[in-house]
Order: sequence, then structure tokens, then C-alpha cells
Amino acid sequence: MDAAAAATAELTETPPVFAMRGVTKVYAMGEVEVHALRGVDLDLHDGEFAVLLGPSGSGKSTLLNILGGLDGPTDGLVTYRGRELSLGGDRALTRYRRRHVGFVFQFYNLIPSLTARENVALVTEIAGDPIAPEEALALVGLKYRLDHFPSQMSGGEQQRVAIARAIAKRPDVLLCDEPTGALDISTGVAVLGALERVNSELGTTTAVITHNAAISAMADRVISLADGQITSDVRNSTKQPAATIEW
Amino acid sequence: MRALDRKLLRDLWNVRSQVLAIALVVSSGIALLVMAQGVFGSLLTTRDAYYARYAFADVFAGAKRVPNWVEQRIAAIPGVRQVQTRVVVSVSLDVPGVSDPVNGRLISLPDRGRPALNDVALRRGRFLDPDRAEEALVGERFAEAHGLDLGDRLFAVINGRRQPLLIVGVALSPEYVYGIGPGELFPDPKHFGFLWMTRRHLATAFEMEGGFNDVALALADDSPSTEREAIVELDTLLDTYGGLGAVPRADQTSNWYLQNELSQLQNMGLLIPMIFLGVATFLLNVVLRRTVAVQREQIAALKALGYSNLRLGIHYVEWAVLVVALGALLGIGAGLFLAEAMLGLYMEYFRFPLLIYKVSVSSILIAVGVSLVAAIVGALGAVRSVVSLPPAEAMRPATPETFRVSLFERLGARRWLSQPARMVLRNLSRRPVRAGMSIVGIAFAGAIMVGGSAMMDSMDELLEVQFNIIQRQDLSVSFFEPVEGSAAHELAALPGVLQVEPTGAVAARLRNGHLQEQTAIQALAPDASLRRVVDVDYRVIQLDRPGLVLSSLLAEQLQVEPGDTLLVEVMEASRPVREVLLTDTVDDLLGVTAYMEQESLQRLVRRDRTMNGAMLKIDSQAEERLYGLLKAMPAVAGVTLRSAALENIQTYMLDNMTMMMSVNLLFALVIAFGVIYNTARISLSETSRELASLRVIGFTRAEISAILLGELGILTLAAIPLGLLIGYGMIAAVMSVFESELFRLPVVVEPSTFLISAAAVLGSMAVSAWTVRRKLHDLDLVAVLKTRE
Repeated sequence: MDAAAAATAELTETPPVFAMRGVTKVYAMGEVEVHALRGVDLDLHDGEFAVLLGPSGSGKSTLLNILGGLDGPTDGLVTYRGRELSLGGDRALTRYRRRHVGFVFQFYNLIPSLTARENVALVTEIAGDPIAPEEALALVGLKYRLDHFPSQMSGGEQQRVAIARAIAKRPDVLLCDEPTGALDISTGVAVLGALERVNSELGTTTAVITHNAAISAMADRVISLADGQITSDVRNSTKQPAATIEW
Repeated sequence: MRALDRKLLRDLWNVRSQVLAIALVVSSGIALLVMAQGVFGSLLTTRDAYYARYAFADVFAGAKRVPNWVEQRIAAIPGVRQVQTRVVVSVSLDVPGVSDPVNGRLISLPDRGRPALNDVALRRGRFLDPDRAEEALVGERFAEAHGLDLGDRLFAVINGRRQPLLIVGVALSPEYVYGIGPGELFPDPKHFGFLWMTRRHLATAFEMEGGFNDVALALADDSPSTEREAIVELDTLLDTYGGLGAVPRADQTSNWYLQNELSQLQNMGLLIPMIFLGVATFLLNVVLRRTVAVQREQIAALKALGYSNLRLGIHYVEWAVLVVALGALLGIGAGLFLAEAMLGLYMEYFRFPLLIYKVSVSSILIAVGVSLVAAIVGALGAVRSVVSLPPAEAMRPATPETFRVSLFERLGARRWLSQPARMVLRNLSRRPVRAGMSIVGIAFAGAIMVGGSAMMDSMDELLEVQFNIIQRQDLSVSFFEPVEGSAAHELAALPGVLQVEPTGAVAARLRNGHLQEQTAIQALAPDASLRRVVDVDYRVIQLDRPGLVLSSLLAEQLQVEPGDTLLVEVMEASRPVREVLLTDTVDDLLGVTAYMEQESLQRLVRRDRTMNGAMLKIDSQAEERLYGLLKAMPAVAGVTLRSAALENIQTYMLDNMTMMMSVNLLFALVIAFGVIYNTARISLSETSRELASLRVIGFTRAEISAILLGELGILTLAAIPLGLLIGYGMIAAVMSVFESELFRLPVVVEPSTFLISAAAVLGSMAVSAWTVRRKLHDLDLVAVLKTRE
């Protein structure tokens, strides 16, 4: 994006949190080259709840990893609030993840040796202006499970601890990779409810990637991917509460 | 090769650095075992062959002067197979070009034929021509130390006369395998030599014609009762002739040292290798358990494909056996190499005319067998978990690990700890046995190092006490015969002599009821300052009261305490027997001795000639001239320089102990690194997913390194003091084995020894940490998000 175009964009609307332009990603898998992303352009805006929908192999995880600073693009430009993400190397990316990004993973990735409260404190101890761990856990409905270890909680509870851990630092963006992928429907809905509440109460920009189309019902915006390209990008005018979602 | 075998080899290759670390620990143990057994076997075989071929005697006795006809009566003692009488005298030697005082022992060889007992092995030259008075054989080490060759001359100072000796041969004797002079701890061939002369000529020179002053016996059998009875009979026979008490082969000085060395080798050859193999077993156990945990799903798949529990169990046992076999192979090679190097070193101090290099195949087989047992024991835990794993369950992910708040936190420390610190503590306390074993394993590394160096510290301490606190003379003089006290004035009058203190000793038998011990009673002046009686706490014992002071060991043997009285039988002409009060005991370090104030001793033996030596403080400027004057005095049998004796010991220690310590250090590092590195790799493997998750949520590399290395650091820091304790215990145990009538080593561990040991352990940790930290950098952040544990 050249300077003039950027200036125009800034004048026309609030600047996007993320902007991707012509992003491609090529992995070398042994001797085969895999094109995970093929020229993706995408903007994500403040407070938006976006669902990235696609079958496995569509490139959605790669997209999320690049947005989260876990991976860099092979080609193209990714900016976060106007700053280019690929500059600065590992140290800068670590700082970016530490300050601005909250992650929620399919398999929770909690530290088994720490209790719910301590898993959240892990983040609040290194964050600048965090929410108290207890408050973050209350937000996801786990006020009464503060001192339980992961092995003492159900999958849904563990995932909600992971959400509390992700939002406790007041991230600018919450990136969720198949957050309900390992859960049954009722616990999955509870987890989605927690995400919904965080998005509405804290105004955190949220991107959820999933292959579960039902989840798109609660999104502001639904972006579909297939074969490394965006196939559709639609605003959802009939946004539903998470509690009503079924699959 | 079957598929499962390929898997085995590839699995091993994947963890090759851990495999190598474990194999090295095994190989260190096996190398030590093979080395010790090799040296032990070779020395033992060589010694026995030497003793047999050169007719080493069973009983040894000295006397003042025994008429030749008594030999018949000695031969008639029941159980005596062979008798060899000799003339043995101590002299001062004059070696051309050597200014230091040199002493020697002249030993007679029969006029005709070879000695029946204690024969000499001729290394070079020829045997003595009985018609030539001046011919002599010289001991090999002495010849080497002075560069003496056939045809060279030296002089024995006999009654003040220089008697020339012509070297016609260089020899060794089974009596002097460890050739130390009287009162020495280490052979000092520069200052003490053994020489052999024809009996007739030696007897003439020392007015011993028609008699002998030394006898050796061979016994008909080796039963202890035969030996005991022969010694009693021999003592009775020699009593009249100033018998100094017979000693069995076991107490013969050279043999005693040799035996002591052999026992040490045997102990070292078992204990230390066991430590190494124990540590290796533990490491195998930990690494294999982890391997099985990681391969959970593979194992389930293999079971689902129809592999039996037995086959899979064998698969993991093979894993361990291969690692140990690699270690055993390396160890056997290194052990054989070290055994040869070690034997070379031994041959410097223990001289044999032959060397039978013998490493028993059985000891190697035992070593390999023991290590295989170690491998199988190490693998058992892993195999058990393989067998107990139902295939269906294994296909599901393992349930999350159960953690608890650690004891340390429950005690109140929790609120002060950061979350990463809590992770470290809980990881450790979750597997307390493993953490404990790791600590013990690392501690042994430190202990081996402390043990090795503390040996040196203790020797240093012994020397410090002996040469700075007890002996403070520059020079000591010994006389052929006891002289009157006035001789001290003569010595004092010599130019360069600053201070003279007479010393004396009387052979005596101390009795308490049926218990008796033979010893020499040392006479010291009450205000002695050059030769003092000092106990382990460096307390100087004043001999200011009449009565006896005994080495504690001697008092123990006689079961007497201060305040008791003893019967003292003086082993001299009139054989007076007196009751004497024991006034004090002293925990001394060298020898077992009885001390008495000079004048009391004179009264006890009823003569005024008790001075058989003197301690001198001299002006170093006049040193050389003084030696000459002293040697020319007819009464002087020998002159010993304190500094030369000290220097000799220090050289010996440097030579010998440096090698031992390098080997120790190397092996200790292998253990330390083996344990720490494996611990690090295992915890990396166990926590890599957590660490990667932390990286994803914004922890820096340094922060996650701190978590992993914090665990290592705690283990290492806990291990260091424990290692120092175990090391101290080891050295104390070794010292108590050493404790003998000849010397008792104080248990001393210098702070520097502790520091070096701690530094080496920390160094091993630093290297392990550095290696593992590099792996942390390669954590795949994306992969952990997509996989279950």
C-alpha cells in the first residue's frame, strides 16, 4: 500500500487494526511446496467479531498465525495499527504477542502445574495494565474454580480459563483457533458465550477460525477461505446470541 | 533387519546425545572396574610369581648378634622349613658427586651359592665373587636415581672409614619391592639404597664373624597357628641375643605396603564402578520412561497391529542393552589402556623383575554382566508401563498430569513466588523420587571429586604436621650403637651446628596381663623442641613426668588408659622388667610408639647410654661441610636431611596423585554431565509444549529458559552440598581403611577442594544448560497449538 492510498484510507474510515495486502505463504514440506496462502487482502477493524470459516487446508490457521506474530508471510505486507509486523524479528514479535495479542487454542495449552488463577496470573504478571486474574475468570464464569488445576476441570472449563488468560492482559486483539474444536456442543456454547461477552464488554477485536459454519451466526463478519484465498467476506446483519447457536 | 529393529536404531539415533551421555557414564564405571581389576590381577599375579620364584620368606627377625650355632636350633623349630641367616647393617653411603646425605642398607648374600630365602633377581651384571671384598650388588632404583652403572664405585662409611664398593651387578629383591628406608613413607631412592655384599666380607667389616643379626624363615605350611608358634619360639630363642621381635610376612614393611595397595585397588575396583553403574541405571530408567511416554501412541498402534507385550517389552530392554553395550565396549577399551598406564606408574614405585600382565577375562565378563543387569533393571520401569498400556486407551491422549501445590509453597512461600517459579517447584515436587535421584547422581559427581582431592589434602596435612610441627630439625643423625649423652656436646661443637637434641630408643615389650606389644620406647628431652610429640589436634605433649606416653592405637591394643600401669620388658642384655605408669596417650599420625622422658628411660634400662641419634638445627651455609664431618665420625650410621625427605614425598605425590586426580576429575565430569544433561533433556521434552505455549502468549526466550534451567539449577544447587557431604564421608571411610600402625591420615578437606568440586559441577550444568538452551530456540511454536500432548 503506498502512502497516498493509506492516507486516503485513513480519511475515509477509522484505520483497520490489521491490514493484509497480497499475503502469500509457501511452506516447504519435505520436497513439496505447499501454498498455504495465495495473495490474501484483508482488513480487521476495532471491536469487530470476525469468524474465518473454511475446511482444513484452506489456510485459515496460517492466516491466524501470521496475524498473531507466530509466523511471517513469504510475500506481501502485514501491518498492525500501521506498523509492519514482519520488521524487527523474533524479539519484536515476542513483544507484540506479549502486549497486544490474546490467543485461545483448540487444545487450551494451559500449564498443568498451575491452577486456573495462576494460569491467568502467568500473563497478568508480565502485562502492563492487566485485569485481575479473579476478575478475568469471573468474566468467563469461573469465579468458583479459581484454585483448581487443569486436571481437575472439564475441557470447557479449561478452555474458559484459556480465554480468561488471553483477555486478562486487555489485548487489542483476541485470536481463537478452533476454540470449540475439542468440545461437545453444550460446553462449546458456553465457551462461545464467554467470547461474546468479552467482545461486547471489553470491545476486544476478536477473530475466531473454525470449520464449524454454525459459529458464524454470532459474528459481525464472516470471511470464508478455500485453497489459500478469500472466497467471500460478508457482514452478518442477523447477528445471534451465542446461546442460541446449535450444531 | 526387521522393522522393529530399524525403529530401535532410529529411536536411539534421535536421542543420540543422551545415549552417548549414558554410555559414557557406563564406560567410566566399566573402565574403572577393568583398570582396577587389571592392575590388581597383574600386581597380584606378578607378586605371587616373584615371591615364589625368589623364595620370599614367611617370618623375619632381627637381633643384635646371634652366634651361628643358634641357626640349628632355629631350624629345629616345629613348622620351619627353611632358615636363612644374614648380616644386615645400616650405613651411611658416599656416592661420588652427591652432596646430600645418603643412607643405605647392606645385606649379606651367602659366600657360596644363592640364598635359600629372599633371593635377589639380577637385572644386569653378575653375582658377587666371594673372593673380592669390595664387590657389591646395588638395588635397581638406587642405581637409576644416581645413574650408577656396572664398574662404578661408591663408599660405605663404616666406623668412620670409607669402604669402597665396586658395583658388579644391579639387583632387585622380593623383600624390597616397595623399597623404603626406616621411618620413611615413600621410597626415596636418591637418599636410601639397598646393597648386597658377600656375607664373609660384610661380617668382617662389622665384627659379625661367627654370627648373624638377621634371620628369615620359610614355614612348612601357611596356617596361622604354625606362623604364630614359630614366631613365639623364634622370639624365645633370640631373646638372649637382643632379638628385636619377629614379624610375619604380613607385617614385613614392603609386603605390607604392597598388600595395602592391592586391597585399595580391590575396593576401588568395586565401589566406584558400582556408583557409576547405579547412576547409569537411573539415567536409563528416566530416559526410557520418557521415551515410552512419548511413544505412547506408537506402542498402542503396534499392539493394535498384533505385536505382543513380550515383543514390545524386549524392544525397550534392547534399547537399554544397546546403550549399555556401547558403554561397556568403550569402557573395556579405556580400562585396558588405563590399566597399562597405571601399571607403568606402579612399576616406578613397586619394583618387580618380571611383570605378568593379567586382566582376567572373568572380571571383564562380570563387568559386562553387571552392566547388563543395570540396563535391564533400568529398562524394567519402562517395560512395565508398556505392558500395562491397553491399546485402546493409548490411542486416546494421556490425561492431564495431576499437580499439587508444593510443600514449600504450602509452608507460606507461595505468595512470594512468581508463576514460573511455582511451575519449577511443582514440576520438581511432582516426581520427588526422580528429583531426589538426580540430586544424588549429581552429588556423587561432586563426591568423587572431593574424595579424590581430599586424599591430597590429607597427605598435605600429614606432611605439614610431620615436617613442620613434629620434626623441626634440619638434619637427623643416627648412631650404630647407643652413645653417652656427652656425644651431644661433641655434635654441638661442630661448625654450623646451632642446636642439638639427643634422641634415643630402646626396644621393649609392653605387657598388660596377657596382652603384649613390641615397640620401641623413644626417649625425648622434656623441653624437646626439634622432635616433639604432637597429637591430631596439634597439641604438643610435654614429657615432663616420669612414665610412659603411648600412641592411642597402641594403648587401645593393650587395653590401657592413662593412670594404668604396664609391665615394660626391656629387650636388652639384662632384660629388666619394670612396672611403669601410663601418663598419657597421644593420637599421633605416624607409627605406633611409646615415648618416655630421657632420664626416666635411662633409669629404666639402668644405663646412661640411651642416645642413638640426634636432631640438629644447622646453619645452611655450613651444610655441606657438616655432612662431611658427620660422616667421618665413626659412631655415625646415617645422616638424613629433612628437606630432602620432604621433597621426595612431594615429588611422589605430584607424580602419582596427579594422574589419579585427573582420572577422577574426568570421570566425575562424565557423571555430572551425564546426569545434568539428561535431566535437562528430559524436562525439556516434558515441558516443551508448555514452554512453547508460553512463548506464544508472549514470554521471551530468556523467560522460558529461566523456567527450564531453574529446575536444573535447583537440582544442582541441592546436589552440591550433598556431594560435599558424601565426599567427606567417602574420604573418612577411605582413611579409616588406611588407618594402620604405619600411619593414620587426618581427614582434611581444604575449602579449595570443595570449591573446585562445586565449580566442576556448576560447569557441567552450564554446559548442559547451554546445549539445551540452543534446543529451546528451535521450539516449533505453531506445531504445539495444533497437537495434543
